[in-house]
Formats: sequence, structure tokens, C-alpha cells
Amino acid sequence: MAVRAETLKELEEKQEWWWAAEKKRSSRLDYLRKAMWKKGAIGGLYPAGLYIDLERPVLQTEKARELEFSPDPYVIKFAKILAHVLDNKTIFITDHSQLVGYLGSQPHTITWDPTLAALLNHEVVNDPTSIPEPMDESLKTITDVANYWAGKSDLDKILPHMDLDDAMKVLSGAIGWGVPLSRGGYSGKDYEYIMSGVRAFEDVIAELDRKIEEADAKAHEPGASKEISDLYDKMNMWEAMKITLEAGIRHGKRYARLARIIAENFETDPDRKEELLQISEVCERIPAKPPRTLQESLQYDLFIQLFSRNEAIEGAWPSRPDYYHGPYYEKDVTIDKALTEEEALDLVGEFLIRAAEVSQYKVRWAREGLQGIEGTWVWTLGGVKKDGSDACNAMTIALLKAARLVRVANPTFAFRWHPKVSDEVMRECFECIRQGLGYPSMRNDPILIANAMNWHGHPIEEARTWVHQACMSPSPCTKHGFQPMRMANATANCAKIMEYVFTRGYDNVVNMQIGAETPPAETLTTYEQVFDAWVTQMKTIFSILVRPVNRARILAPKMTPRPYLSAVSERSVDSGLDVCDPSISRGNAWITAFTWVENADSLAAIKKLVFDEKKYTMAQLKEALANNWEGREEMRLDFVKNAPKWGNDDDYIDSIMLDCLREAAKFSRELKCPSGNNWPILPENVSGNIHYANIVGALPNGRRLGDALYDGGISPGPGLDKKGPTAVLKSCSKIDHISDGRAFLLNTRLSPTQLAGEKGYQLWKTYMKTWADLGIDHVQFNCVSDETLRSAQRDPEKYQEVIVRVAGYSAHFVDISRKTQDNIIQRTVQGLG
Amino acid sequence: MPTCKECKRFFPLEEDPGKGDCVQRVIDPRQAYYQAKPVSADKDAVKCPSFEKK
Repeated sequence: MAVRAETLKELEEKQEWWWAAEKKRSSRLDYLRKAMWKKGAIGGLYPAGLYIDLERPVLQTEKARELEFSPDPYVIKFAKILAHVLDNKTIFITDHSQLVGYLGSQPHTITWDPTLAALLNHEVVNDPTSIPEPMDESLKTITDVANYWAGKSDLDKILPHMDLDDAMKVLSGAIGWGVPLSRGGYSGKDYEYIMSGVRAFEDVIAELDRKIEEADAKAHEPGASKEISDLYDKMNMWEAMKITLEAGIRHGKRYARLARIIAENFETDPDRKEELLQISEVCERIPAKPPRTLQESLQYDLFIQLFSRNEAIEGAWPSRPDYYHGPYYEKDVTIDKALTEEEALDLVGEFLIRAAEVSQYKVRWAREGLQGIEGTWVWTLGGVKKDGSDACNAMTIALLKAARLVRVANPTFAFRWHPKVSDEVMRECFECIRQGLGYPSMRNDPILIANAMNWHGHPIEEARTWVHQACMSPSPCTKHGFQPMRMANATANCAKIMEYVFTRGYDNVVNMQIGAETPPAETLTTYEQVFDAWVTQMKTIFSILVRPVNRARILAPKMTPRPYLSAVSERSVDSGLDVCDPSISRGNAWITAFTWVENADSLAAIKKLVFDEKKYTMAQLKEALANNWEGREEMRLDFVKNAPKWGNDDDYIDSIMLDCLREAAKFSRELKCPSGNNWPILPENVSGNIHYANIVGALPNGRRLGDALYDGGISPGPGLDKKGPTAVLKSCSKIDHISDGRAFLLNTRLSPTQLAGEKGYQLWKTYMKTWADLGIDHVQFNCVSDETLRSAQRDPEKYQEVIVRVAGYSAHFVDISRKTQDNIIQRTVQGLG
Repeated sequence: MPTCKECKRFFPLEEDPGKGDCVQRVIDPRQAYYQAKPVSADKDAVKCPSFEKK
């Protein structure tokens, strides 16, 4: 990428923020940012130049073969396989870097975990775009690995223990998204245990040794009981945890050694030599001992995350980096002055880059649903401390500044707003939004703390530690509060609820009876009967999705254990039970509700045009939908234009939205997770609105099969919010954001011209005050003009760095599909003031 | 027959000289880096294109 000739001021005036960032960042950050291989799939395919890393699956398979007939319990075998990978994988240190660690053996590789699911392995075998050369040799290796794990992978093992009817409906891809696995989804972390600065891996190992010693003594005392019998399983679990932590320490020391070898044998620049010796010192200590400096703290966090991704495919990155790294930033920059602000920004910016590079091969539906990114790395900033005081610190500001310098699309930030947030921090948030990053999304902290207490009974001190477990859902970082795995298949394609009312639960796209056999639509004679059928379909779909997750959570401790994640979790270190064991978790489950608003818009159209005005019959509507509105364009436009639409402060439809949410909320309290807690819904979409375009049939809101669905959450349909931003907020505020669901995504587009200068900030601040006063839990902004986006469509090479907010995540505009690009452009630009 | 331990790029482990790392400089289209791959000292290096005698 050539450096632009314009001055920084000229670029900022033209709002070409991506070029301005290039001029503003240090030469180190510039090198590292340009050195980064973007890993997000484009149109479901990985970008050219990226290859599946075969080293790791070969290491896993060779160790598994070696251990096949060993007497070790499965959890110990699994830990040894993980250790074998960490001990033997190729590692590397990039020029100019100060932080180290990557999942793959080379920077341009995507790691593949063959132990997870045969269906994933089949995709690898059949993905010619990512198989490394020489192709024949690679295919031979891939086939050997895939054949070995067929029948042995987690999903293969777990499926026979599930209700196969439910499993087939989930795997049909019509109503859900993901699989019920403890090693594939969104892993929360017990940061209060492992990131608080008081302990690191050696301390945990010492604790595990104590536990094993005590248990061993107890197991050999005279007597016999179930408790004693259980101790043998616990000792195995503790031993497995220890194996993973020891491997983690050795892995750190491998980097220390490599840095030292480079410094002593290859590097000629004395400054870089010093940096390499510094890396060596850091990695000799980390992750064995607690960090002392910002560099050590960031390196520690990075190792914790990478080890976890060596154990599982993690589609999210729950994190609170300002809260946990803030004390080290303050010490190094403000107190000791060991680092200048610029030096600290280099470290913070590199931390974002290191995270942005992480990649794990995923099935195609996941790649399509997360266009342009590798997963939803939504890092949580701001918020309050456990005592309710403001948690923002200098690291909060550093992260927001660094984000504008490196402009990665993933990780993104979500900011926990509360009334005590300073104007300085709000300005930093605004600056990121104004400069078109699409983040931070803004979260209403007091509302969401109350929500966490309401839905899952988290005590207030624990609720206040919350982070985004994926795009949107809060989860505490505490011993019993954090959720070790949110299994992604509890993601409901909710537009199917409406569709099934007209098909009696039969899915015409996948040719399968999935929903309930409610009465034929043409026999429904009142709106109330239609709504009853809707409720039945909603309950049926939610139940099908939740049952496999509940089952997988119960099976996980024995069949798909997580010894490493357990080792960094206080509840498992204490109990000797796997981290997914429901008995040691309070529960923090939720159903992600994709394509939700279509239901309210459709029901309102039926109520008005069929039952109030009697312009059409249910039989006519059923026939029109069955034929995808073909030959009924006039009727379709009636349903589009002359029916009330959500987001216009219209009580007619807004009350229908509330009826839907409250029925779902009521049912959420009947659905229970294995810990006995509730399953609230959370409307949001990622890019599921495009993924599902060809899976959801015609709907009564006028949508045809193949049309993009709405962009999700409680965002109005694109272009259907005609009455301005306050009307959108007013509609949204009719929802009780504490008790009607777990969280509600709201997309908003603002004009970059309007946000320019101090006036722009004041306008935004006023908007945010209205948002906060109305008790809405979420809002996120796109602030890139139509003109820029259309130019990027015409000339993508020139606009490689333009970022947009897709849904609960951001992506580079050129990395998302044309359909998603168009969908973003169609969203209404709201004028403020 | 050349073995890894005779190569310039082989760095033995202090605690176990029978094992070590093959350390190489790599330049890809985006970045330059040093990589280390664990190898045994006595590994046959006949077919290794990077072998360079100490």
C-alpha cells in the first residue's frame, strides 16, 4: 500500500481515516499492521494466500495414535495431545514485534483441529482453495488425518447420545447455526481468577499438587464411599490440568529461547537485539509467574487466549483488557515512567494485531455468517468496578487510540456506558465511531447489570464484572458466574417461526417436518389464533435448539473435557470437576434470536390487512407465500407499504413486538439449562440475515425467498424506519431491556458530515443521552457515507481499509459479500438534531 | 550422511543436546520472521534444502 501524498490534515478533512492512520502510527505499528494476514473469509472462502496448517493435525494424530492403547483416562490423553502440540509446533517471531504467539506454524496459515467434528474434516478435504501445495501430498495427509478422527471426533462421539430427531433438525441448518460442543463456540474465562495479577500458572500448579496430594491421602484412608470413588476421577482431572499448564510454561520458554537465539546469532541492530532479549526475559517468566509490566501482562493474556484456542475452536474472545491490563499501564506509563505513551501505544496496538491474526478453520456456514472476520472478538471496555465506581482508566483511552491507529476489524470494542464515565473517555469513543470503525458499540451498563441479576441471578458484585461473551451477551468473569462454553447452535433463525405458521411446521427448503403441526393457516379465523400458532412454533423451535445444548453440557465433562480451560478456572481447580460441569456453574445461557423483527412486521401486516381491513384472506396469503409472491406483486407491495413497520413509534406494531418478546420471555423461564437457570432470548444477527436469505421462505412482511433479511436485533428493516432516529429509539424503549430478553442489538447509521467537529460530538452526545434516558441496552453506529461505500464497491483496491459495522461485529467493507454491502447501504442514514 | 546437528541452523538444547531447534529466516509476501522447529540432532538432513554445514 503506497503512502498518500496528502498531509495528515488534508486526509482528516477528507475523512480518509484509513490513510490518516497510516501517517499517524509509529513505523513499528505500520510494519506490523501491514505484515498482518487478514484471515476472515470472503464470500465463505478464505482469501488467496492463506493455507490450512497441516502441522498441528499431524502432531495431534501422531500423539493420539501413540496413546491409543495407553491405560491413561481420556482426559489425560487429551491433555497430553495438547501438550505435544505446544511442545512441537513451529514457532516464529516477526520482525519488529514485541509480543509473540500464534496458533499456526506460519503467519499465513489457518489452523485446523481435526478432533472436533467429522463434518468439519470433510470440508477441509473438499476445500481446494486452502490446501497447501504440493496438493497431492497435502491431500494424502489430510485424508489420513480425517480418516483417523472419523468416529473419534467430539461430535461423532456425542451425537449418538442425543435425541437424533433434534440433532437432525439442528444440523439441517434451517433453524439453528452451530453444533452442540464444549470445544466449539464461545468460551468465557474466569478472569477474576487467572488475570487478577495474584497468581499465574506455577501458583495454580502448586495448588493442583496440594489437591492431588490431599485427595490421594483421603482415597487411601480406611473406608469406602462415592465421595472416595469420585476422588479418582478428580485426581485424573487435576493431573490433566497440570499437564496443560506445564506445557504452557514450556511453550513460553520456547519463545524465550528463540528470541535469545535470534539476538545472539542473527540480529545486527543493537536496539532490536535489546528488544529480543526483553522478549526472552518476558517469556522466561510468562505464563509461569504473574506479570509485572504492561508487556508481560499483554503477553500473559495472549498466551492464555492462544492455549485455549489450542484446546477448542473459539468463535469469540470475551475480554476486558482495560480493566485487567490497566494497572500495569498505569504503573509503567504514569508511575514508573518506564514507558512513554507512544511506546505503550505500540504494545497496545500490537496486542490488537496479534488478536486480529488468530484463525481457526471453520465450517462454511460459520464463515458465511461471520463474513470478513474470524469470529466475534468483541472486547469489553469501561463499565464499573465491583464496588460500582468507574472502571475506566488510562488503558481504556490507550485501547481506543490504538484502535484508530491500527484499524483492525477484529477485535472490536463494546463500551459499557454508565453515568460516571468522563467526557474525555466519551470523546475517545466518539472519535472511533466518527472515524468509521463501527466500534465501540455502546452498552448501557446499569441496565445490563440489572438484566444479569434478573435473568440469571448473578449477585451484583459479579454482575458488575461482565464482559461480552460473544457479540452481545453479558457474562460475568467470576468463579461460578462465567460460562465456559456458549454452544452456538442455540441460535434461532426466528423468521422460521412465522414461516412455519403457514406451512404447519414443514420446512419446504430442507424438506423436513421441523416445526409444530399447528392448524392450517387458512383455518385461522382471528388474529389471536394466528398469534397462538406463532407462539407454538416459537416454543417448538426454541426447544429443539436448547435440548441438544443441555445434553451436550451434561455429556461434556466426560466425553469432551477441557483440561486447560479448567486449569485456569477457580471452580475446577477447587472441585476437580471439568469446567463445563453444570453443578459448579450458575448458568448464563441465552438463545440468540436471528431474524427476529420480521415476525413483528409480519404479524402486524396480517393483523391489519387480513383481519382489520379484510383486504385478503389467510388462504390467499398462504397461497401467495407458497408461490413466493409470484403473480401477486400488487398484493406484496401492499404488505410492504401499507402495513405498519417496527421502528416508527407506532403502538399498533410496537405492541405486537412486545407481545412476541413477552411470550418468548415467559417461555425462557420454563426452558432451563442443566444448572437450573433460564434461557432468555437475545435478538441479534451477525451476518445471518444474508446467510439465511435462501433458507427462509416468503414472509407476510412482503419479503421473498432470496431477499436479504433485516440486519437484525431490534433494528428496523432497512429503509422502513421513516420517522427519524427519535422514533426508532422510542419504539425500542417500549421494550423492557431488563426483563424482556437478555440484550437487544440496535444498528444505526449516521452521516459522517453531520458528525464532523465539536458540533458533531455534541449532537452525538445528545443522542446518547436520549438513548440512555430511555433505558435502551445497546446501540452501534455505522458512520461511512454512501458515496464512500459505493466507491469502495466500484474500486475495492483503493478502499481496502474501509471498515463497517455489519451486526455485532465490524468488518472491512471489501471483505463482505455484495449482498451484505448493499444491505448496509440500504440502512437508513439517521439525521440528528 | 549429514545430520541436523552439523547444520548452522541447528541450536541444541542445553539440557538435552540430542534435541534442538532448526532456526530459519523466512520472508513471506507480507513480513519477515525467524522460525524455530524442534528437531532431533541426529535427524537425516540429506534432503533438507536449507542444510548449511557449520
